[in-house]
Amino acid sequence: MPPSTDLLQGTLDLLILQTLVPGPMHGWGVAQRIQQVSQDVLQIGQGSLYPALHRLEYKGWIRSDWGNSENNRRAKFYALTAAGRKQLETELATWERLSAAVGLVLGRIPEASA
Amino acid sequence: MMAEWLTRMRFLVRQIFRRRGRQSDLDEELQFHLERSIEANKAAGMTPDEARRQALVDFGGVERTREECNRQRPGWWLGTVAQDMRYALRGFRRNPVFAVTVIATLALGIGATTAVFSVVDRILFRSLPYAHDDRLVSFGLVQSLERQEFTLGAFFFDWREHQKPFESVTFEHGASACNLTETNPAHLNCADVAGNFLPTLGISPILGRDFLPEEDLPNGPKVALISDGLWLSRYNRDPGVLGKTIDIDGHAAHIVGVLPRDFEMPRLQAADIVRPAAIDEAEQHTANSGLGFPLWAFARLKPGVSVAEARAEMDPLFRHTQLWIPAEFRQEFRLQVRSIRDRQMQDAYTAAWVLLGAVFAVLLIACGNVASLFSARGAARQRELAVRSALGASRGRLIRQTLTESFLLALAGTAAGCVLAEILLRTFIAIAPTGVPFLAQARLDLRIVLFTVLLSLLCAGLFGILPALEKPRASALAARSTNSGVQARLRHVLVAAQIAISVVLLSGASLLVKSFWNLEQENLGMQTRNVLTVHVPLNWERYPTSRAYMDFYLRAESAFRRLPGVTSVGMSNSLPPDANSWHGGMRFADIFVSGKQRTAPGTGGTVVIRMVTPDYFRVLQIPIVEGRGFTEEERSGSGDFIILSKLLAARLFPQGNVLGQHIQFANYRPYFVLDGPVFTVVGVAGNVKNAGLAGQDDPELYELRSSHHPEAWDNHHFFLLETSLPASVVAPWVRSRIAQLDPTAPVEIGTLAQEVSKLADRPRFETALLGFFACCGLLMAVIGLYGVIAFMAAQRTQEIGVRMALGATRLDILRLIAGEGVRLIVLGGLVGLAAALSLAQLIKALLFGVGPHDPAALMGVAALLALVALAATLIPARAAMRVEPVEALRYE
Repeated sequence: MPPSTDLLQGTLDLLILQTLVPGPMHGWGVAQRIQQVSQDVLQIGQGSLYPALHRLEYKGWIRSDWGNSENNRRAKFYALTAAGRKQLETELATWERLSAAVGLVLGRIPEASA
Repeated sequence: MMAEWLTRMRFLVRQIFRRRGRQSDLDEELQFHLERSIEANKAAGMTPDEARRQALVDFGGVERTREECNRQRPGWWLGTVAQDMRYALRGFRRNPVFAVTVIATLALGIGATTAVFSVVDRILFRSLPYAHDDRLVSFGLVQSLERQEFTLGAFFFDWREHQKPFESVTFEHGASACNLTETNPAHLNCADVAGNFLPTLGISPILGRDFLPEEDLPNGPKVALISDGLWLSRYNRDPGVLGKTIDIDGHAAHIVGVLPRDFEMPRLQAADIVRPAAIDEAEQHTANSGLGFPLWAFARLKPGVSVAEARAEMDPLFRHTQLWIPAEFRQEFRLQVRSIRDRQMQDAYTAAWVLLGAVFAVLLIACGNVASLFSARGAARQRELAVRSALGASRGRLIRQTLTESFLLALAGTAAGCVLAEILLRTFIAIAPTGVPFLAQARLDLRIVLFTVLLSLLCAGLFGILPALEKPRASALAARSTNSGVQARLRHVLVAAQIAISVVLLSGASLLVKSFWNLEQENLGMQTRNVLTVHVPLNWERYPTSRAYMDFYLRAESAFRRLPGVTSVGMSNSLPPDANSWHGGMRFADIFVSGKQRTAPGTGGTVVIRMVTPDYFRVLQIPIVEGRGFTEEERSGSGDFIILSKLLAARLFPQGNVLGQHIQFANYRPYFVLDGPVFTVVGVAGNVKNAGLAGQDDPELYELRSSHHPEAWDNHHFFLLETSLPASVVAPWVRSRIAQLDPTAPVEIGTLAQEVSKLADRPRFETALLGFFACCGLLMAVIGLYGVIAFMAAQRTQEIGVRMALGATRLDILRLIAGEGVRLIVLGGLVGLAAALSLAQLIKALLFGVGPHDPAALMGVAALLALVALAATLIPARAAMRVEPVEALRYE
């Protein structure tokens, strides 16, 4: 299983923030959602997931609360903060600029601008 | 930005209160993740067992995640430092020998180095309290009777006029006792200096001003500078002291300034008051037969001029003025130019360098020891590190852990070392002879504490980190033997080097011990037991004439004779075997034997001359080997009699026939005349040590101290009391007898044995110190050797088991383990002996009666080393020999 370190530096943060936009979610849920949406291409192991969640929390972009999971178990839910939303916007903008730039270098016109 | 920072702070604060909580939160979170994973697998159709297994495999290591998560926390490393410290302390508790050895080694290394450096620093590297002290020199004449340079007024002013190498030239006219004759009288020391004395040395008063040119003229205004000490004790640091009048020996002087607190005279005399010498330059060409008063000259070199160059440039001037010296001993005088520091330190240099070298060697051994201990421990812990690494601990974390341990040990070692340094320093000061300059002011030097701490940290850190640096291999988990080749060789080299260094130290120490033994065993040629010495240095103001001295001393003599328990009382103007009483010397060439050719001037060296009473020989039990001693009648008679030492008799009268010969002494005023009394030789006495304990014996002659030469009496006068009673009993009687004669007379009482032993203080000090360091060094080297051999034996326990199982005898095992140690001992010992032989020349100056390559001393060192080192090897080797093969095979 390719570890998530293959992801670009900072990309995991972006993915997590994006995943949390619809609402609070626990760690397992975040990992599952990313895997689902990416059609099993991106598999986030707990070894990268939890350090990243903690990092984001310490930066104040997400906050955590204990709550009950869908099967009524105690679980830690992470939710986007206002600062996190702002950060997400900045990062999305950066990402788009970056991927467009990479696309240009690779000689492929991104679909968005086609 | 601000918000982010605040969030960090919030977590930091929260973390302090609920660290455990966070940890279990994380565990619960991970547990939840795992369970969901299992459920997902089950949902995918796996059996419960399979689901669980697959989930665990996917999950991976937990430890690493935990650490990663912790690391995200702001200030996370604070927690790990505390954790590392707890871990390290637990480790030390489990293996106290390691910790104690490292701490003891560091303490010894740091303590000894710091203490000695603090002492030596004052001697070798201390900056003098003068601006640009490296350019200050002392210059003048030296001759056989006075080896410390001085000059005479006429010479000085001629040199000052014509000299080129110096920026400025100054002098002091000596410092002597003076009295404050005011309402609150005090005994002080007053120094008389040239007007440009302070500017030349680069000293400026902290209050008031320096002397004005007109104040340095004869009959100029009387002014004085006072020392900081006097300013405090007499005026309580009152700034209004300036302009006050002070009465010095009945003469009023105005205080114009206060000297800096660290002021000292270049010849280190005590000085509370400094006055302008106000010397009349013209008078210097007439006084003292045109030679002038004795002065002590100092100068500041021009920038870029070296002492040797200054000396070369002064030489023609010296040659010119040399012609003024009477021809008889003109050739004896030489020019001396040396730095003030050299003049102050005399022969303390050699001892200081040797001490510094010794302590540096000890420091090297300590570092080697710490390094090899850490290296051995590192090797032994390779497996532990591999396990922790496999469990997910990062390499940085492992390195930090090792560093924490080194740091903790270094901290403990430093603390212990500082305490030890303070103790050692106090001990040094307590046992040091008075002759070692500045020792009493020695203080712990913080710079050197820091330096040694850094050095030992470097040693510990470097060798502690090495094993952690290389990524622990998976093989380390399985490997039975963890003794990696490179490190093992490194440890062996370290141990051999330690042995070599301690051999150098030991051989130095053994040479000094032997030399000291020789000194103690020296045949003095006289009796020192049961002899009490009494010195009464009378004040010239109360006793203005020599006759007054004579009357007092004769009355004291008869008073002492009546003391119970005192069998005889001798008198002399100096005491053997001390060589420092310069006033008791004369030139051999100045002795004239009637009817014989005089000896060529400037040859024959010096002769000790002592003025004694008849009982001097009896008290000291100096044998009269020919003729007779002096008699009591001769003391008051009119004849002039002398006794020669055997050495002098043989020099003057090689053919014998000594008794009844007539001898006269040359006088110089300043030109040679022969007008003194004619002495008759009445006897020949045995030789007595008279040039210090280590010096060559000088020929000696005894003049009878008789009452018809009252002009020869002064306050250089010693009583020698022969008594079988203890000094503590007789001393009060002596004091009361003197007090009956003159209650103000100062009395100094000692035993001759003490006086003699004082002369050996310096060698005793040097021997004790070097011996101490040698023992420290040997001890540490042996600990290092023991550690390495024991470690090696423990590492090879399994191998030993296999060998025994295959038929090796216990003797073979002993040979195997001890052989390694013996190789190190022989290698280190040989290298050390070679180094010791080449370095021994350096301490030649400190040795007496023993050559620097004394075979017996070196053999002793070799034997001691072999014995101790073999013991250190055999103990672990024997333990290895006793290994039970079955248990050894099961080892680990």
